[in-house]
Amino acid sequence: MKSLYIINQPQKLNQALPFISEQDGILLIEDAVVVATYGSVQANHQTLYVLVEDLIARGLKDKVGVEQWNLVDYPQFVELTLQYDKSVSWL
Amino acid sequence: MATYSLLVTANPYSSQGQLSAIQFAKTLLEQGHELMRVFFYADGVLVASRLHAPPADEINLTKAWAKLAIEKDIELIACVTAANKRGIVNVAEAERNALTGNNLDPAFEISGLGQLTEAMLNSDRLITFG
Amino acid sequence: MNKSICIVFNKTPYGSQAGRELLDIALMAAAFDMPITALFVEQGVYQLLKGQEPDILDIKNHSATFKALPLYGIEDILVEEDALQKFNLNVQELVEIDGLKTISSSHAQSLLANSDFILTL
Repeated sequence: MKSLYIINQPQKLNQALPFISEQDGILLIEDAVVVATYGSVQANHQTLYVLVEDLIARGLKDKVGVEQWNLVDYPQFVELTLQYDKSVSWL
Repeated sequence: MATYSLLVTANPYSSQGQLSAIQFAKTLLEQGHELMRVFFYADGVLVASRLHAPPADEINLTKAWAKLAIEKDIELIACVTAANKRGIVNVAEAERNALTGNNLDPAFEISGLGQLTEAMLNSDRLITFG
Repeated sequence: MNKSICIVFNKTPYGSQAGRELLDIALMAAAFDMPITALFVEQGVYQLLKGQEPDILDIKNHSATFKALPLYGIEDILVEEDALQKFNLNVQELVEIDGLKTISSSHAQSLLANSDFILTL
């Protein structure tokens, strides 16, 4: 099964990564969106998404420089939860 | 079309989680999906109080949930154990615990954790906002 | 076949009640006959450490309930090996639970991939 890992705090991404499979997706929301502005992430083939509303709210939309990140809005967030078999909020 | 349930554990006015959950709920409903139930657990239950009085220029999260629940006929359920210990009580729980008042917003219900399990078994997707 | 659930404990007790509140979810899901795995990763392995005395802080000790998990039909109790190593812990220091096993992170990864629901708090 493919999972969508939803990360809402920046420090949680590295904690969750060892448990996320290659075919999974990772979506950054809330404060975790800052991670998408850091440069590249040591992800292991997972598809990476970041919630654009949360970037805009923080003035960070233009700071996502790396093509690694796919910007998604709320309608796409809902679509992603269906595209993946399940969603996992790694709190 | 899919059936969703949400698990909301975020503290209402200290963190963004409740707002994310409301936005997600609105969006999935706009797309024609069904929202079976929103289950509030841990600090998430705090939003079920009808006594929140945020400043006029800030969102009232309880009212935002209540509006969704009334317009779209969605169950908002707060876990009884989590709610009681955090001072969220309905009339029956207030009487049972000999408390002088109750504060559950009428759009919300108090029930057991079994409602979360049942939501998992009967929804296509469960999304957690913490 | 009922949908399966993997409950992930990833926080130290007692700074938050996450462990206790996840435990309550596990027990309830067991009552619904859902196949359940309790997975302890990262700082969550501290949930299982022997000799906890949260009573001195007026906090209820929930660690004994972990021992009772098999009685509720929860027999898959898995602990991340890497976390034990990282925190200088060994299995002998954990509460004795029938069937408790240590697993690698990659095993945990495939277990998570195969669960219908995954909950953390």
